[in-house]
Amino acid sequence: MPRTSRQWTEYPKLPSTHYVNSRIYTDEDLHREEIEKIYNKVWLIACHESELPGKFDYRTFMHPSGRSLVLIRGEDDTIRAFYNTCSHRGNTLVQEPAGNAKRITCVFHHWSYDAHGNCTDIPREAAGYAGRVCKANVGLREVKCEKGLGGFVWVNIDDACEPLSAFLGDALEDLQVELAPPLEVFHYHQAVIDTNYKLWHDTNRELYHDYMHYHNRLTGLSQKGYFDRVFHTYPNGHVQLDSMEIQYQAYRGKQRTLGWPGATVACHKLIDIFPGTTFILRAPSMRVDTMTPLGANKVMIEFRGLGLKSDTPEDRAERLKEHNNLWGPFGLNLHEDLFANELQTRAMRDGAEAAHVLHAREENNTTHDEIGMRQYYAEWGRRMGRSPHDPYGKSATETASQTPTKAMARA
Amino acid sequence: MKNPDKEISQLVYNSCLKLDELDFDGYLSLCSPRYRYRIVAYSPELRKDMVWQDVDREAMHHHLDLVPKHVRDLSTFARFPTVYSIDYDEGSKQARVLSGLQVFKTKLDGGETHLYAVCRLHDVVDCSNGEAQLLSRDVHLQTRQLGTGTQIPF
Repeated sequence: MPRTSRQWTEYPKLPSTHYVNSRIYTDEDLHREEIEKIYNKVWLIACHESELPGKFDYRTFMHPSGRSLVLIRGEDDTIRAFYNTCSHRGNTLVQEPAGNAKRITCVFHHWSYDAHGNCTDIPREAAGYAGRVCKANVGLREVKCEKGLGGFVWVNIDDACEPLSAFLGDALEDLQVELAPPLEVFHYHQAVIDTNYKLWHDTNRELYHDYMHYHNRLTGLSQKGYFDRVFHTYPNGHVQLDSMEIQYQAYRGKQRTLGWPGATVACHKLIDIFPGTTFILRAPSMRVDTMTPLGANKVMIEFRGLGLKSDTPEDRAERLKEHNNLWGPFGLNLHEDLFANELQTRAMRDGAEAAHVLHAREENNTTHDEIGMRQYYAEWGRRMGRSPHDPYGKSATETASQTPTKAMARA
Repeated sequence: MKNPDKEISQLVYNSCLKLDELDFDGYLSLCSPRYRYRIVAYSPELRKDMVWQDVDREAMHHHLDLVPKHVRDLSTFARFPTVYSIDYDEGSKQARVLSGLQVFKTKLDGGETHLYAVCRLHDVVDCSNGEAQLLSRDVHLQTRQLGTGTQIPF
């Protein structure tokens, strides 16, 4: 039965943890608050160690705060991260996304820095500053940086942040073995999408949308064991889904043959890290999504495809082929997900009558249960001090004082 | 073949027209049974070349067959190739062809058009059977940010 304006906007008869107000996806003020309260406080993947394999290799990263970072591998093999900003006049230091430089020299006035962030040269220092400014006091702003499981390089711009291990907890445990061998990024692309970053991450947290994917309907949804997968939630908003053997022969006429160390052939695993990182193993290749919100309605997603550093050319070609068939910019599945997010955003842009977006499926935490999103929004509410279902309401204070576990238990 | 340059140029233009029109059978009819199609892009982030698609004729056929079964943005693409050079070898009756390609996207809702991608086409054309056929096509992308992407090759 169609609904009137009043019916459309009234709260669903569901626990408040089971739906959100769509304005959390469209409100620019809330977005700025998210950057401050979430993105400026959490650990984010900046790159993979294979992107800066040699001494003095560097890689840039655009932090969601808008700050450009530069990560440099020192002569001691340690990767450090700094604001990509000259201490002199605030100029951008390196402009290429990756490169090699024993000394980073600003193009503007030739101030130089080493891989530890020390300022090593100021042209005509004594003549101009006479001791008022000296190299020792104008090093780069260092950012917390840790190499995590699988060789991913994480950064956190909050000097007072918890260690990466505390932030992740045991969330990556299910990929412990698969992330153990040295990995290499063979695919990288960015996609700027007209959607809110949470909508993209929602898509990675629920499999109910497998109905949209012709490929997934044939190879997963209609196969034995599909509905037996269980979502496991972790502190800090992370979630992991049990693995499954995908039946690719139902789509292509033949099963995949190349696997992944520690995983079965055609194995599928999924782990989501709050607030927007996803690890997907679809043997024989791995995909890791990270993203930089560019506004309430725009996000830049970085897609990385990974194989083993030890791959033979034949194995690498096989991983590439399978990765590209579904996940490349010309693949058949990735476009579906991204396009669906754009369609969602088109429908939400008018905030006059905000819709309620449901996360209400309960199936004992199995495949089509939407616990992954409920877990996410409990963490979002805790960090924002707002209730996702009523972001401007009086329940905001109440939610701020609750842990994700408590909030979900209430449901 | 009386005028190889003309026929080879026409082949490049036709291959783009067929894809614009979603005439996949028509496109494949322009391709040799030994056809190989690749999309490559240099990544300044990885400092190496990436392969974004690498298929033979059979795999391309399979891919194009599957496109209508998948969800996709129904906006349209218009490919504008410009043939820069044709290096025809009379002995092998093959030609190496270099073209520039601009791809424009027109939104289904409202009809707004924007430049979607620029790239170069490195084609090898086989003329040994009396007609020009695509033996291989390497699409060298300059544009790497393709938004939602597309399931239909350039």
